[in-house]
Amino acid sequence: MTEDSGMKENIVCPFCGCLCDDIALSVVGNQITDNKNGCSISQAKFLNHHDDRLAMDSSVEELVKKAAEIIVKSKRLLVYGLSSTENDAHREAYKIAEEVGGVVDNTSSVCHGPTILGTQESGESIAALAETRHRADLVIYWGSNPQFAHPRHMSRYVRADGLFIKDGKKDRKIWVVDVRKTISAGVADKFVKINPGSDLEIISALRAIARGKILDVEEVGGLSINELTELVEAMKNAKYGVLFFGLGLTQSKGRHRNIDAAIRLIQDLNYDSKWSMMPMRGHYNVAGANKTSTWQTGYPYAVDYARGYPRYQPGEYTAVDMLVRGEPDAVLNIAADPAAHFPRAAVKHLAGIPVINLDPKQNMTSLLAKVNIQTAISGIECDGAAVRMDGLPLYLKKVVDPPEGVLPDRDVLRMIYDEVRRLKK
Amino acid sequence: MSKQTILTNGRVYDPMNGIDGEIKDICISDGKIVERVDGSAKKIDLKGRLVMAGGVDMHSHIVGSKVGVGRAMCPEDHRKDPVPKTKHTRSGVGYTMPSSYVIGYRYSSMGYTTVIEPALPALKGLGSWEELEDLPNLDSGLLPLFCNSMITFNYVKEGDPSGLAAYIAWILQKVGGLGVKVVNPGGTYAWAHGVDLRDPDGEIPGWDISPREVTRGLCQAVESLGLPHMMHFHPNNLGRVGNIETTIAQLDSIRDIKGHGGREHIAHLTHMSFETLGSVEGAGTDWGDLASGGLEFAKYFNKNKHFTADMGQITFGPATTMTGDGPFEFYLWQLTGGKWANIAVDVELAGGAGIVPYTYSPKAAGNSVQWAIPLEFALNVDDVWRCIMSTDHPNAGPFTKYPLVMSWLMSKKQRDTWMEGMHKFAHERSTLPTIEREWSLYEIAISTRAAPAKILGLEATKGHLGVGADADVSVYDVDTTKVDFAKDPDRIIKTFSTSYLTFHHGQQMAKKGKVNASVNGKVWSVHPELNESLWTRINKELEVMMNDWYSHSFYNYPVPERYRAPLEQKIPVDSTSVPA
Amino acid sequence: MSRVGVEALLTSGRTLKQGRAMELGKLGPEYLKEVAICEMDKVTLEALGLDEGDPVCVETLHGSVLVTSKIDRRAEPGIVFIPCGPYANAVTGSDTENTGMPDFKGVSAQIFGAKGEKVLNVKELLKQIMEGA
Repeated sequence: MTEDSGMKENIVCPFCGCLCDDIALSVVGNQITDNKNGCSISQAKFLNHHDDRLAMDSSVEELVKKAAEIIVKSKRLLVYGLSSTENDAHREAYKIAEEVGGVVDNTSSVCHGPTILGTQESGESIAALAETRHRADLVIYWGSNPQFAHPRHMSRYVRADGLFIKDGKKDRKIWVVDVRKTISAGVADKFVKINPGSDLEIISALRAIARGKILDVEEVGGLSINELTELVEAMKNAKYGVLFFGLGLTQSKGRHRNIDAAIRLIQDLNYDSKWSMMPMRGHYNVAGANKTSTWQTGYPYAVDYARGYPRYQPGEYTAVDMLVRGEPDAVLNIAADPAAHFPRAAVKHLAGIPVINLDPKQNMTSLLAKVNIQTAISGIECDGAAVRMDGLPLYLKKVVDPPEGVLPDRDVLRMIYDEVRRLKK
Repeated sequence: MSKQTILTNGRVYDPMNGIDGEIKDICISDGKIVERVDGSAKKIDLKGRLVMAGGVDMHSHIVGSKVGVGRAMCPEDHRKDPVPKTKHTRSGVGYTMPSSYVIGYRYSSMGYTTVIEPALPALKGLGSWEELEDLPNLDSGLLPLFCNSMITFNYVKEGDPSGLAAYIAWILQKVGGLGVKVVNPGGTYAWAHGVDLRDPDGEIPGWDISPREVTRGLCQAVESLGLPHMMHFHPNNLGRVGNIETTIAQLDSIRDIKGHGGREHIAHLTHMSFETLGSVEGAGTDWGDLASGGLEFAKYFNKNKHFTADMGQITFGPATTMTGDGPFEFYLWQLTGGKWANIAVDVELAGGAGIVPYTYSPKAAGNSVQWAIPLEFALNVDDVWRCIMSTDHPNAGPFTKYPLVMSWLMSKKQRDTWMEGMHKFAHERSTLPTIEREWSLYEIAISTRAAPAKILGLEATKGHLGVGADADVSVYDVDTTKVDFAKDPDRIIKTFSTSYLTFHHGQQMAKKGKVNASVNGKVWSVHPELNESLWTRINKELEVMMNDWYSHSFYNYPVPERYRAPLEQKIPVDSTSVPA
Repeated sequence: MSRVGVEALLTSGRTLKQGRAMELGKLGPEYLKEVAICEMDKVTLEALGLDEGDPVCVETLHGSVLVTSKIDRRAEPGIVFIPCGPYANAVTGSDTENTGMPDFKGVSAQIFGAKGEKVLNVKELLKQIMEGA
């Protein structure tokens, strides 16, 4: 790194699950003036980090006191979010939930939670990104639109040349499977359009055909048996295949059953070839939230501490279900925007209870929160660790100072924890 | 003011200092064992209770990505074993893959104080350091994997032992590792090419080198660097009937390698139970042909002194198999048909580490023979200093079953009882029923304390109770002059399941099995210092290779100090004699 | 508002502009412009008698929301798209079938032309939800 010239290199971008770590920033004084290599979202994130910050109506100390009072008064605290902050913040959040017997859930319950449920049925053959670049001669994106959600995923890991794939553009085939022709479908070698909600049937049919079964139908989910058979043949003939899948698979009809079926299909393909898969994790550290939760509690999300020990039950201790049932009487929200991303019925309950909101920026949740505490942006204004979509941990650097008096999430959470302990005595 | 404690009237078993059940006082000052303490020291009268050094587990999978994936995909593993928070401890869950805090607490309550994680994909080191901060009450260390890395292959192929040694030194320093782990060298990598490579003399696809050459290269590199712990070795062809031949061939292939400074042992063979499967004479290699290779391997072990071994004892009941040997797990999954996870790792473990939940049954022919193998071995070795008790947690069973394993080692009566309901193959295809030997407490103390500390190179401060050692002490509630363990195996299990007292660095961790502290231990790492020209060369070469091959930058590879400093205990090693 | 509607499956997801706008400010005009829209094919828009940019009302079992119409040249009739965010969620069901995951994709919807009506901004939308409308 060449700090003197104001260039900071090999910076990790804290936006999506790709965690691109080749970002080069020009920094003048405490201002980031240029972002080399980043995608357009990365540009917006780094260059506009000062804008639109969350307003605080008193000092952090006062707000921490208010937050702790709400938490101590509550009977059923929901701690939510965590996917857009670094790992140490998670660890502090679990401590608070454990201390007061609350529930802690991260945003994976509304993104790749079904993926986790699928792995709990069947396991998973998990891919790695450099391995994809070096080896994969067939890459499938299913229900995923990387050009929009993970803008450099294709160029960095899939279209790029690799050790055994000399020409990433010619020697590797990319398929997109989706219900509509997305921008990613437009740049793929093959677009497979399927009927909405038919993923489970199609995957099951592919698996049956791969196992040599004869299907007594003409088409499944909008694809003829011939088309399906061709897909299976190509998949079996690939030397090294990788399936990337997105919310088109986890959020549509069938949910975790879709994933379970996909896992079994990919596992089976290993008899003939080498296949693995990877969820396209959205928020840059949602994979980290699953990981920290798992090592501390044994469970990746949807954890309830009411009995003094962690219990796990998606559908019960997941945030949307909790809110729709009207169960939490307070919410500690960290680095997420549930008001913007939850269904109407969940937002309605959220709006009626005290919400403590930790975030660098204002958003829909901050509009309804009772206590808003502005925090530093991990990976720009404070350091920390995050986990890439393939499980690789990366160190996020502090590039510039946060606005005056603004602390990292982990510090604010530690203060809240200490204050909760003090009040409970 | 220094913090002093004196434990009086303990019956001490301390093999490193030749003490075999003598009544002695143990003096503790500032976390160390000392000659004497002054009158103000806190005095605890042990009234003849059994005293050993804190337990040292040199092979137990306690942190890292495979443990995390395993925990996350098996909620059913934890549900029935909740662990509530207490005034002093955090909550969590147990069973074969306990949550991080609970691992620390359960070891504490059993009297263990040092546990080594034996399989780290080095590029994921940061995650393990983070996790170790939430794993209290133990000293630990990480063993990075070098066996399926393209960088290793590159140096072996180029015939550049200095480059290989320097790569190892760089990783150990930058990531913070305690030693070198080798798992199915070349075999896991080959699997990424769709090749099932189990022959040590086969070709690693695309590299024109064999697993044997990789194994030798890594073993030589460890000795040339003079690392305290020798190569930690899981050979090719694991878990297959008749693989004792491969294992012996591989051990033979490194026998001529000279130990650093003349040391005798140059490899540690881990979980020998999975590597010494014999087959019935004249039969093939189907599971129906399985026979114990324990005795045959003990004979080899007694004759060939260049290696040590741990048992990997199958304990029956639920386990979770997890290993950097991905192709083995794929094979095992085909036998179980249940869950299977595989974790491909960029460049360093292309084929991937695997995870398969598994339940060992005494009624199953194969499992019953597998159970007999390590016992037959351990009861036939002539040198317990080279034979370590382990369950390869959680592969052959959780570490919480150690007391049960001790009871099998210490009591023929216990073995007979267990064999009563067992599949007949355990009787017919092993010599275990005829073995009379019963391990003594002294031997238990060697195998669970002194020997692992020595093999890890930590014997200055670990595994014993001599002056200068860390004050890691476990006290068990038994007067060994009044019980006959061999006749009362239940008493063995009761005694060793919960310590009476556990001290770690002089601080009380547990009393009567109740954990009353939650504090970070130390994490050992070795720092081999290279001569300047070699250090310069390796940095240049690794920058090129890593930036070419990895999906993240050479500059983002090291684990930052901020995550290490609170825990790390660096062991400097002078490796400047490795030529550039 | 016209009561002649078009039936379609409503789906939601990420867009590049939505991602960028999120980083520029989630209460700002840019974000509104990127998430308070409904993308559809040209035929559907024409069937509604609308020009691109006219407001449409999207109704599902779970509620209704006003957004700006937009043509997606790649789209085909039968599927319409609202970028993920508060407008999509205003018409999303909350039943997770015990998985934690609500129905974000593939909700049956009816689309109506809503010329002359005003698309609410994020604050107004939140107020509407809080008041239970």
